[in-house]
Amino acid sequence: MSAVIETQDLTKIYEGAFKGQDVHALTKLNLTIEAGEIFGYLGPNGSGKTTTIKMLLGLIFPTSGKIRILGRKDFGSPAVRRKIGFLPEGAYYPDFLRGEEVLSFFGKLYGLGGADLRKRIDWAIELVGMKHARKRLVRGYSKGMRQRIGLAQALLSNPDILILDEPTTGLDPIARKEIRDILSNLRDEGKTLLISSHELLEVEMISNRVGILSNGVLQTMGTLDELLTSRDVLLQVGAMSAEASGKLTAAGLEIEDQVKDNVKIRVPDQVSVYDALELCKTQNVPLLSVAPRRETLEELFVRIVGAAERAKEQS
Amino acid sequence: MSSIISSVRSTWTIAIYTWRQGMRQKTLIGFLLLSVLVIFGSSFLTAFLTQTTGTDTQVDIEAKLLKDICVTTISIFGMLITIFISASVVPGEVQNKVVYTVLSKPVRRFQYLLGKFIGVQLIVIINLALMGGLFFIALYAKQRIMPTLLLWSILLTYFEFLVVSAFTFAVSCSASSPVLPTIAGLFIYVTGNLIEYLKDVYNRAGQTGQWFDELIGKVAYGLYQILPNLQNFSMKTQILYLQPNDPPKDVQFPNLIWPKLWRGTSSRIGFSGARSCSPS
Repeated sequence: MSAVIETQDLTKIYEGAFKGQDVHALTKLNLTIEAGEIFGYLGPNGSGKTTTIKMLLGLIFPTSGKIRILGRKDFGSPAVRRKIGFLPEGAYYPDFLRGEEVLSFFGKLYGLGGADLRKRIDWAIELVGMKHARKRLVRGYSKGMRQRIGLAQALLSNPDILILDEPTTGLDPIARKEIRDILSNLRDEGKTLLISSHELLEVEMISNRVGILSNGVLQTMGTLDELLTSRDVLLQVGAMSAEASGKLTAAGLEIEDQVKDNVKIRVPDQVSVYDALELCKTQNVPLLSVAPRRETLEELFVRIVGAAERAKEQS
Repeated sequence: MSSIISSVRSTWTIAIYTWRQGMRQKTLIGFLLLSVLVIFGSSFLTAFLTQTTGTDTQVDIEAKLLKDICVTTISIFGMLITIFISASVVPGEVQNKVVYTVLSKPVRRFQYLLGKFIGVQLIVIINLALMGGLFFIALYAKQRIMPTLLLWSILLTYFEFLVVSAFTFAVSCSASSPVLPTIAGLFIYVTGNLIEYLKDVYNRAGQTGQWFDELIGKVAYGLYQILPNLQNFSMKTQILYLQPNDPPKDVQFPNLIWPKLWRGTSSRIGFSGARSCSPS
């Protein structure tokens, strides 16, 4: 695997009008995104995600540090940008153009033209399900429609790298599923995707690796298996006697929820799952299911960002 | 070679889509419709005058009235369109963040600004051609003489708009909203048309011998030297009093674009582009 996007000690400081008012948007970011992976770039508002993306695209320039895209140092040059598709957050497009005109405009900026461009526009519009609104002015589009046309323009030039800032914002659940499928297919085709999002569930579903940023510092980075640790085991059992319930609780098991004949029992780390199952058997508790539970991305995010915030307050 | 062609193509694409976007803006369409209405209205008004008086000398007065109204209309509405569009294309895209989407494509900042400026000129030229064409037809219908002098006037009017547009656009490249460039454009238009008064102020200022008086005179002289004299582009008097097919007087091409302003404006645009390209 080769690094498609690589940053080394990337730092961005926005200078304030007066001394001491400088804003450290990003501090010594070391990021490596491999070819053919979906990288979830997470962080609370103001953590430096968009600043990173703007620097990768050459829209703003780093205060210090290095960026390499596809192994090239000239990351903001037209030659490198030709290989990148970008969906900005909020999807900003010329309001007085029609949907297909927006695509034609951006396609021409990528150097596409003639029958090839028309074919690509038809393909992209079909892919994002915007055939019905291709002739309408963008200013009359809903948020979801803007997002779809934004994704279409990002995909238009068949780029090697896709940088998507909040790609599923404003979309309904069905559209989210469609977009997720499109992104997964793109990864399978060998494209590299960097997705910045607050939709942690979406990111958890499709990302290979994630990085969590807080206060301009990358707090953690890795695959979901590496980061999301196993937490406990959940037993689902049927109706049981009060005596059996008391014995299970005495053994350290926790009854989380009980709805009629369906009881959820948590097996904490310190209790052996085999012992818990044996106890259920001896007490004639009907076992319905056994499921390991691991930390969700949301829980990891809250834990990491919370710790970073506390550390900042203390310092 | 291919990179130059690609660069020119991208700039032209931005220009064409700026024009297409601009021509769909309601404010601009409103200005254009209003000016067309006034030009049409003036034809009816002069026809009404002919019916009521009907003498030979009145035909001349009628044509003069038509010319007066049309030249003024083109000048005012054309300038409003020019300032409005020059002041809003770049700040508008900065405000609604379209600029980020465009500049994330294989486009340099200089190409973006140049494309926008050419797009603005296309809008100005097409609006002027529409208004001027209508005036041309109305005048020809009235006098049955090919009004070639009018074509010169339209050409010069465009150069006047070009100077104001370039200045407004240059200011707009550093502005976050269209308000400041609009004010700057109006300032240049108004002072550029009153520049001879500044010369008068300078000539009269030294007569009292007081220091404050002299200071005012020097300021007036400084402004006279810096600001463009937009009256150089005006052929209103010739249009009003000469025959429609007379050759133009005192039109010299080297004087059409005021060199200092042009140099200053183009370097300003270049500076804006260079500044936005440099590491921040």
